[in-house]
Amino acid sequence: MTLWGYEARRTGWAAVLGPPLAVALGAAAALAHPEPSDTTIARILLGGLEMAVPLAAAVVCSSLIGRDPARELQLAAPTPYRVTLLRRMAVVVGWAAVVATLTAAALIVTGWWARWPQSHGALAGQLTWLAPTVGLSGLGFAAGAVLRSPAAAGAIVTTVWAVQQFFAGAVQQHLPGRLLYLFATTRGATPGDWTANRLTLLGVGAVLIAFALVLLGRRPERLISEEDE
Amino acid sequence: MTAFGASLRYEFRMQVRKRSVWIVPALTLVLFVLIGGSLLRDLFDPGERPLDPRTAVAGLAVQLHALLSIGFGCLLADRLVRDDRLGVAPVLDATPASPAARLSGKYLGAAAATAVPIAVAYFGFAAAYAIDTGRPVAMAWATAAFGVVIVPGLLLVAAFALAVPMIMPAPLFRVLFVGYWLWGNLVPPETMPTLSRTLFHPLGGYPLDALFDFHGIDGEDTWAGPIAGATWNVLRPAPTPALAWLSIALLLTVSAAALAGGHALRVRRIR
Repeated sequence: MTLWGYEARRTGWAAVLGPPLAVALGAAAALAHPEPSDTTIARILLGGLEMAVPLAAAVVCSSLIGRDPARELQLAAPTPYRVTLLRRMAVVVGWAAVVATLTAAALIVTGWWARWPQSHGALAGQLTWLAPTVGLSGLGFAAGAVLRSPAAAGAIVTTVWAVQQFFAGAVQQHLPGRLLYLFATTRGATPGDWTANRLTLLGVGAVLIAFALVLLGRRPERLISEEDE
Repeated sequence: MTAFGASLRYEFRMQVRKRSVWIVPALTLVLFVLIGGSLLRDLFDPGERPLDPRTAVAGLAVQLHALLSIGFGCLLADRLVRDDRLGVAPVLDATPASPAARLSGKYLGAAAATAVPIAVAYFGFAAAYAIDTGRPVAMAWATAAFGVVIVPGLLLVAAFALAVPMIMPAPLFRVLFVGYWLWGNLVPPETMPTLSRTLFHPLGGYPLDALFDFHGIDGEDTWAGPIAGATWNVLRPAPTPALAWLSIALLLTVSAAALAGGHALRVRRIR
């Protein structure tokens, strides 16, 4: 427990503040709509869960690798460093999950959840935030493992997220794009693809995390030097 | 050599040699080309592309600026706080070189280096378009668009990327920055109160409209001026060239203010 508490502190303030701030900004956007209708407000509230929470969690996951000041010590410890990093990632995603579940519960109880026609049931509907969070966080963690630079890995996560926002239509014109689309609940083109899309994102996230762990395990000494700066 | 010149040169060379400064924009462009439903494909399709080279390169500027600025801001977010983290800041502070000159040099040097791949991509595509259409004037328009549309926006992003991580963790800045970039640039103003398409528009709505006569690739978009049903229309006066220059001056003033704020904060901390 002490260890988990320590890892939670090592993840930093961004991990703690990110998800609640994301939910708050989503709610503010919903309230600020000039011509509110129940459907659009519900859509923006769900959008906060599907868009903002995954972004906040994923950018923090992309910053996990390369911030410890004494990586030599971490690499010499009996616990492999990659296990430590995975534990920190679990803390980040776990906290985002707590915030998202509480928000989802609040939306379900107040009835806003059901007012967006493309929302799903209380249980399966949790994939609204879970799938993009795991998919994008996996991408961030893997990018961090490959590039060993929080700046570069964070840039890749935010760019992928933004591209899917800017070109929502173009991304979903073909099946691979639809399966990998992060915002299938609130901006999805084909509601029939939803379950496949969610499972694909979870699978891709898991594969990317596994890839990062393999990479970190193969040449851990690379972690001592930071990226070429 | 002055402290400003030396830190500019050093920061530029350090940043331009970083792998990630090249990898991130390259991956962004790969993603952009893969999606395919964008202007890039149309630019090289004789049936689809805009007839006016000015519209074509302005449209290209908008798309690349909107997309590549995100990586630009994220990559610059660790530059200032990094000196403290690595422990070089106190050493530099002990030298006679003025902190303000060092900060300005760092700002312009790191921003210029991170903008090099963006310039390469933009002028590369513009040159390909100029050759493909046999209209060399496109290069002149591209140079103008880079100077008045892309550069002021990038200077604003760089100033905040250097200053804001002084008061919050860099990852949190990256999250808030991409959220702001979407909200303040691309959200349609009729859907929520936004700074998008106002005088304070890093994507350069006023210069695009008033100096390039740009109304979207199809000529149907409003990039500046009041929008029916939108809030905050008081910030969207009818576009004129004078307002376009005012809009650029506003971006540069806010950049300078952000940088000055970051500087004041550092000076207070080291006292």
